[in-house]
Amino acid sequence: MKNLRRFFLKLSRLFTNGREEAELAREIAAHLELLEDDYLRQGLAPEEARKAARRAYGGVEQSKQLHRNERSFQSLAQTVQDTRHTLRQLRKSPGFTLTAILMLALGIGATTAIFSIVAGVLLRPLPLPEPDRVVILGDTLEGSGCEMCAHPRVNAADIQNYMRDTHSFTHLGGYRGASYDLATTGVPRAVHAIRMSGDVFPALGVAPLFGRTFTQAEDEQQQSVVVLSYSLWQSHYQGSTNIVGSTLLLDRKPYVIIGVMPRNFEFPLVPGHVDRSELWVPLRLQPEEFLAGQAASWTFRMVGRLKPGVTPEQAQSDAERVAQATVRDYPAFMRSLRIHAAVKLLQEDTVEQARPLVRTLFFAVIVILLIACANLAALLLVRSIRRRREIAVRLALGARAATLLRQAVVESMVLSFAGGFVGLALAAAALRLGISLLPETLPRIHEIGLNWPVMAFALGLALLTGLLCGLAPAFAAIHTNVNPTLKESGRTGTTGSGHARLRSVLVAAEIAIALVLLTASGLLLRSFEKMRAVDVGFRPDHTLTALYELPQYRYATQARVDAFDEQVLRNLRQLPGVEAVGIISSLPSAGDYSGPAISIEGHVPAKGAGLNLAVASLLRGDPIQALGIRLLRGRTFTEADKDGSQLVALVNDKLAQRYWPGQDPIGKRFRRGMAETKTPWMTVVGEVDSVKMGSPDERTADQFYQPVGQTAVSEGDFATAGELNADYGYILLRTRMEPEQMQNSLSAAVHAIDPQLPLYHIQSMEHAIAGSEAPRRFNTILISCFALVAVLLSVLGIYSIIAFSVALREQEMALRMALGCQRSGVLALILTSGVKLAAVGCVFGLLGAVAAARLLRTFLFAVSPFDPVVLTLAAGAMLLLALAASALPARRASRTDPMLALRGE
Amino acid sequence: MPSKDKESIQLLQGTLDLIVLRTLATMGSQHAYQIATRLQQISDSLLNLNQGTLYPALVRLEQYGWIRGTWGKTENNREAKYYEITKAGLKALGAETQKWRTLAALVERVLLEES
Repeated sequence: MKNLRRFFLKLSRLFTNGREEAELAREIAAHLELLEDDYLRQGLAPEEARKAARRAYGGVEQSKQLHRNERSFQSLAQTVQDTRHTLRQLRKSPGFTLTAILMLALGIGATTAIFSIVAGVLLRPLPLPEPDRVVILGDTLEGSGCEMCAHPRVNAADIQNYMRDTHSFTHLGGYRGASYDLATTGVPRAVHAIRMSGDVFPALGVAPLFGRTFTQAEDEQQQSVVVLSYSLWQSHYQGSTNIVGSTLLLDRKPYVIIGVMPRNFEFPLVPGHVDRSELWVPLRLQPEEFLAGQAASWTFRMVGRLKPGVTPEQAQSDAERVAQATVRDYPAFMRSLRIHAAVKLLQEDTVEQARPLVRTLFFAVIVILLIACANLAALLLVRSIRRRREIAVRLALGARAATLLRQAVVESMVLSFAGGFVGLALAAAALRLGISLLPETLPRIHEIGLNWPVMAFALGLALLTGLLCGLAPAFAAIHTNVNPTLKESGRTGTTGSGHARLRSVLVAAEIAIALVLLTASGLLLRSFEKMRAVDVGFRPDHTLTALYELPQYRYATQARVDAFDEQVLRNLRQLPGVEAVGIISSLPSAGDYSGPAISIEGHVPAKGAGLNLAVASLLRGDPIQALGIRLLRGRTFTEADKDGSQLVALVNDKLAQRYWPGQDPIGKRFRRGMAETKTPWMTVVGEVDSVKMGSPDERTADQFYQPVGQTAVSEGDFATAGELNADYGYILLRTRMEPEQMQNSLSAAVHAIDPQLPLYHIQSMEHAIAGSEAPRRFNTILISCFALVAVLLSVLGIYSIIAFSVALREQEMALRMALGCQRSGVLALILTSGVKLAAVGCVFGLLGAVAAARLLRTFLFAVSPFDPVVLTLAAGAMLLLALAASALPARRASRTDPMLALRGE
Repeated sequence: MPSKDKESIQLLQGTLDLIVLRTLATMGSQHAYQIATRLQQISDSLLNLNQGTLYPALVRLEQYGWIRGTWGKTENNREAKYYEITKAGLKALGAETQKWRTLAALVERVLLEES
C-alpha cells in the first residue's frame, strides 16, 4: 500500500520537477540560515558562521541529488527532461517539425490502413473454434482444365457418399446457395439463403445466439426449419427473442424458426459486401438432384471438421478412396468423367484469391514507409549537422556519448510518435471512407477495422521508425570531431565527408524505391489501358439489363414460364425507342463461365484429352441484336427455331476455329455431353463474335447459343422430368435513349405481368462492364496513388538535401564567383550533383523494378513486366523530377553575392 | 558520509526513518534542522551525520504518507518547513518499533549465546 502510493508519487513528480526543485532549494536555504543564526549566536563572525553552517550541512549538491534519487525515478526523469528539451527545440523550428510529422503520418497512416486490411482479410483466423481443422472437401474434374481446383465442388451423390464413407471427419456436410421469396408483409423480398446438411453447424462449431441449430436427423427427415442470421433477425423481427417457434414463409411454404446465429457468424465466407447469407435451412436433397443433368453438375460444396490427429493430406486420401468408388457407380451417360477428391483448409479457400492483391498493397505501403523513414533520417542528419558546434561544445564540456545518443533518439521518437498518432487518425479516416470502395473480390470485408492489434502495429511501427531514423544521425553526431569543429568559424566549413555520403546514400535509396513503385504503377496503368482497348465482342452502349428469377411455387410448369417470358418481350417491344429486346441465360461481363461438355461430330477425342467445355447461353427474343453481338456468318434464330423443329445453334468464332479450323462452320453438327451421353445433334446455323463473359482482361471461352425452346430436347439424357428452362434470365433492352431513362419503363413492363416479382441488377451494360473492371481499376488507382506519394516524398527528399548542401556551401559559392566562376557554372555544379544522385538511384531502382516484376506479374494484362516504354518513361520522369527539385536551390546558389566571400569571416 | 570520528557509528538501513518518526511523535512538528539537532543530542554526538543526509529520509517518509510538511515561521521569524507525523505515520511507528524491538532482541540473544 505505502509502496504503491510512493510509486505513483514518484511517477507524478517526474512532471512537477521544477516545483520540487524550487521547494527543495527553499528548504535547504532556510535550513542553512537557521544553522547560520545559531553559529552567529555562538559568537562566530558572519563569514565564519556561514562557512560553519555549510560544513555542518554537508554538500548541498550531493544532498540535492540524494533527494532527487529518492523522490523520483531518475533515469525516467532524464528522459522526461530530454523530451521537454526536444519539444522546446521542435517548437522553435515548426517547419521542420511539421514536415517530419506529416511525412511520418503519411507513411505510418498508409501502412496501418493497409495492414488493417491484411489483418482482417488474411491474418485473422476464421471466427470458428480451431479454424485450422475446418476444411473444404470437393472434387476436381479430370480434363476440365482445373476449372474447380480453386474451389472444389461436389454434386448431390458425392454429399451422400462422402458423408457415409469417409472416416476422417468428426462432422461433414454439404451446402449450396439458394434464393427464396421471403414473405412477411407487402411485396415479397428475395433472400439469400443456404441449404445445408445438419452436420455443417457442428463442423463449424459455432453455437447459436439463442434457440438451436438443426440436426442431421432433421435434415434427413426433410423438416422445414430455419435458422436466422443476426441481421435478418434485427431487420425483420427487431431483435425480439420470443420468435423461436414462430413460422415464416419461404416461397409461400411455412418454416419454423428454431434459432438465431450470433452477429459475427458468416457462412459461407463469400467475398464482398453483398450476397451474404441471411438464413440457413436444411439441405433436404430432392430425388431429382441425383438424376440426369443434375447428377453431372457440381453445384454443391462440402465443409467438414477433421478428427483430432488427422491431417488434411490423410483426409484427402481417405476421401479419394470414396471418390473412386463413386466414379465406378456413375450412370452410363457420364461414364467417361473422372473425379479426384480435394481437401483444403477453409481459411485457404476463403482468402486464396485475395492474397496476391493484399500482399502487393502491403509491399507498396512498406515502400512508402521506407521512403518516409529515409527522408526523416536525412532531415535529422541535416539538423545534427546544423547543431554540430553545439554538440562539439557539449562534448568538450564532458557530455557523455550516451547522453547525446539518448537525446537524439528521444527527438526522433517524439517525432515518430506524433507522426504515429496523426497517422492512426489518417488511417481511421481512410478506412471509414475506403471500405465501401474495396473491390467485391475481398472476403471478410466486415472484419476490417482499426482494432487493438492494428493500433499496436501502428505504434510499434512508430517506435521502430523512431529508433531507425534517430540512430543514424545520432551516431553521426557523436562522431563529431571536437577540436576541428570548434576551430571552424562555423559557416565556411563543408561538413564531414561521412555525413555527406550518408545523406547521398539515403537520397539515392529513396529515388530507387520510388522508381520501383513508379514502374509498377506505370505497368498497371498500361495494363488498364490495354484492358479498356479490348474488344468485348458486343456493343455495351444504349443497353439496359435486369435479372429475374421466377419462383417455382408460382411458375411450376414450363408453359407458365414461357407465357411470362413471351409477355415480357411483348410488353417491352411496345416501349417507345426500343430497338431490340431479348432474354439471355448468361450475361456477358457477369463472370459466369459455367457450361456443359460438348461432343463434336467427327471428332474422336484422344485418350485423356480432357473435356470439351463450352459456355451455353439460352436465348429468347433477340438478345444477340440487343447486345449488338456481330454476326460473322449465317443467320440468327427466328420464330421457326422452336421445340420440335431441327435443333440449331450459334457458335462463337473461338469455338468454330478450335473444332473446324479454316472451314465454314455453318451446317456442322455438335451435341451436349460426353461421347457416351445420349444427346441429339445440333446444327450450326450461324457464327458470331466471341464475347467476354467476365472482365475484359479475362480469357475468352468457347461459346454456343441455343433457342430456349429447344433446350430440353437437346439435353437428352441430361434432361430431368419437370425441369424448367428460362425460369430465370437477363432481360436485355437496346434503346435509342439513355438506358438509365428506361429503368422505370422496364420495371413497369415486368410488374404489369407480375407485380410481386423482384428484379435484380437493373443496370446499363456499360455499368456492368465497369463493374467487371472494378478490381483492376481499384488496384491501378491504389498503386498509382502510392507511387505518387512515393515520388512526392522522394522529390521532397532530394530537394531538401540539395537545398541544405547549397546553404552550407554558400561561402564556397561566393568565393568561386569572386574568383571568376560564372553563374551558369555554379548552376551546373549544383544541378550535376542532384542529377548524379538521381542517376545512381535510377540505376538501382530499375534493378529493383525488374526484381519486383515477379510479384506484379499476376496483375499485368497484355504488358510485359519489363516493358521498355514504361521503364524508360518512369526513369526519365524520375530524373526530370530530380532535376527540377535541384533547380530551385541551384538558382539560389547562382544568385549568391560574391561580396559575401569578402565580407564573411 | 564517512566520518573521521572513530567513535561514531553508521546508521542501519531504515533506522533513520524510525528515529525521525519517533522524534516527530514525541516532539511534535519540527523542521529539518531541529530534527538534526535532536538527533545529535540524543546520540551524544556519536551519530555524526551531515544534516543534508536527512533530506532523502524526509522525502521518503512524506511519500509514504507518514509525515506531512508545511511551511511556517520560527520564533526568530525565519521561514522553515515543519514536518509533523500523520495518523498513518503513528500507526507505522508502532509497527516499525515492534519490528525493531524484535530484531534488536534477536541480535541481543545471538550475541549472548555466542559469548
